[in-house]
Amino acid sequence: MSRTLATYNIKGGVGKTSAAANLAYLAAAGGARTLLWDLDPQGASTFLFRIRPHVKGGARKLVRGKSNVAKRIKGTDHDRLDLLPADFSYRHMDLALDGAKKPTRRLKRVLAPIAADYDYVFLDCAPSISLVSESVFEAADALLVPMIPATLSSRTYEQLRGVVAAEAAGGPKVLAFFSMLDRRKLLHRDVVERLPREHPGVLRTAIPTAADVERMGMHRTVLHEFAPRGRAARAYRALWSEIGERLGDGASPLNGA
Amino acid sequence: MVAGVDYLLPQGLDVGSVDALLSERLELECERVRTGRRTFYDTFDGRLHAKGLVLVHEEMRLVLRDDEREQAGLAYPDKAPSRLAVSDLPDGPLRAALAPICGVRALQATASLRGHRRLLRVLDGERKTIVRLIAEEATLARNGSGNGAHALRPRLHVEPVRGYAKALRRVRGTLEDDLGLVAATEPLRDEAVWRAGGSPGGVSSKVAAAFAPDLRADRAAAALAERLVSVIEANLPGALAEIDTEFLHDVRVAVRRTRSLQRELKRVFPPAPLAHFRTEFRWLQQVTGPTRDLDVYLADLDGAPELDPLRAVLIERRIHERAAMERALRLARTRRLLEHWSAFVQRIADAPRAGRDDALRPISAVAAQRIARVYRVLTRMGSAIDGASAPATLHDLRKKGKELRYLLEFFAPLFPPPVVDPMVTSLKALQDTLGRFQDREVQAALLRELSDEVAMRERGGAALMAMGVLAQRLDADRAQARSEFAGRFGAFAAPRQRALVRETFG
Repeated sequence: MSRTLATYNIKGGVGKTSAAANLAYLAAAGGARTLLWDLDPQGASTFLFRIRPHVKGGARKLVRGKSNVAKRIKGTDHDRLDLLPADFSYRHMDLALDGAKKPTRRLKRVLAPIAADYDYVFLDCAPSISLVSESVFEAADALLVPMIPATLSSRTYEQLRGVVAAEAAGGPKVLAFFSMLDRRKLLHRDVVERLPREHPGVLRTAIPTAADVERMGMHRTVLHEFAPRGRAARAYRALWSEIGERLGDGASPLNGA
Repeated sequence: MVAGVDYLLPQGLDVGSVDALLSERLELECERVRTGRRTFYDTFDGRLHAKGLVLVHEEMRLVLRDDEREQAGLAYPDKAPSRLAVSDLPDGPLRAALAPICGVRALQATASLRGHRRLLRVLDGERKTIVRLIAEEATLARNGSGNGAHALRPRLHVEPVRGYAKALRRVRGTLEDDLGLVAATEPLRDEAVWRAGGSPGGVSSKVAAAFAPDLRADRAAAALAERLVSVIEANLPGALAEIDTEFLHDVRVAVRRTRSLQRELKRVFPPAPLAHFRTEFRWLQQVTGPTRDLDVYLADLDGAPELDPLRAVLIERRIHERAAMERALRLARTRRLLEHWSAFVQRIADAPRAGRDDALRPISAVAAQRIARVYRVLTRMGSAIDGASAPATLHDLRKKGKELRYLLEFFAPLFPPPVVDPMVTSLKALQDTLGRFQDREVQAALLRELSDEVAMRERGGAALMAMGVLAQRLDADRAQARSEFAGRFGAFAAPRQRALVRETFG
């Protein structure tokens, strides 16, 4: 059964793309057939995997089911990891959804024909709270929410919980984690310690701020390809393992490691 | 998506030097040469091959692939085993993908390769991989069925990257037109398997005979008998090694078909030797029966933990029965029977004519006569069965039904499909119902027989209660099958069907 995981935050620059790319890579490296859909019109994930940010027919045809999604998928350089690229037209995805029937179910329907081809589908979302976000919430089994440790982190998390339907009501799991953690800062240390105690949905693993993460854009690949022993790469491995536990897949998702 | 393809590397090129040739024409990034071992798996009857799938153990993983991509994988750090049971694999995508294909069949190592591989990535202007080339030189590793090391000719495997079909065609064009590489006629797995002494498509237990209608009946019978001996011989080692339960099943089906052939075409064989062989094949069927019955019973047994004491008794009984069966199958008597029967049928055309009235007649005439006769007997027997008939009458009908089924399997291609096909369909439905009726009765009887033994076991009381429920379920299903009989038989013996049979078979 395919699982859909979306990296999501209302804010930009919090590490969504870095998380989506590295976690999708880890899922694939662990043996799972994995698809990453770069929903951000900026196309950062697409750029990282050296793929042209172009989807024939654009957002409108894709969300209205008039484009063969299987034909739009590109294999990456990594075994078992494919990418559905970004397209600049995704900036109007809200409008495309707005004109469609049952707009919040559209992304799920786009993915339905290829669900059997993949064990994991990652959605790398653009920062926003919009119709696209609602459609992501419907499609996803879990939201992976990177948060920068800050005084308002707790409020951000609670706001998100307020927006997303509860799991019991069919909403996705919300798995938040800290990103860009700087342990030299007292505030960061304090927030990272406190919030998981107050909110069990917040994961224990945090991704440190690291030059390696910034260098991903330069190398145009994931951390494990150029700095596998770095702090950030190790943190992503721990995060993926913890996500596996939370999803009930065990420490090695799908036994495929 | 376009499938991958293998090319044979020209003489003088190997994994280490192939990049020099290719980089003249393609933008390449070459990885280091890796050394390792790969072991291929399939069921004995080649179910993965038939589906275009390859299961391979490599780099500490078990991977299931089709022509295009990986379907499922599993971390498997242990050494590649010679046998894998799908039911022993952990829950996950690989097991889920294999289970419906393999059923009860185990996976066996069909060939093992040792060698060097090197990945060469073909890049585009963004230095993105658009096609993968894998150079490989491999030697067949020594294994059970192989007869030593064979070096396979070095290959270049072209692996597509999803979404880059144009690039794949361009690269293939370069390899073929500019570099003159020749595509391999068979996949590496297939070459490895036949070089290891196996058959890439697996071993079939089907009879699949196609005779000329005017072929002498004794020659047709001999061809069928030889095919059946080869099925028995092919499956006996697997049955003895207990690789999976299908081996024994296929041995028994081939023995039953042989006996049916001996009975139905008895007038093509010399009577005295035939009587001896019939006795011997009956013995072979008898010695394999109890184990097969217990195999079926254990496979069908409800997984409820309350039935564990019953399961334990059945397993113990099976161990005992298997030991007896193995002793019998390893006797010179078994080997002699197959050898002598095979030699006997090979010489059948030269045998004296006395008592072989059908020997020289065309097989189409003899087969038609037998099919018509057995059909008539079946319809007569079935018509005599009513609500008050004893269970034994249904069992006898089922046995006769098997005779007809085997005759149709042997000779169906000689007759028009519009006549044979509905006959086979309605016969199968009838046989399924009769089979269920008999199986449930036998299973319920076995439950009663084992109840004292189960009662003495730990938690035997709870098991007895569960067995009571099970027996009720079996009785209900048996009654259901009994109530279906009239409808099934009615379809099989419908007036139109009878008329067609009369018209076609006489």
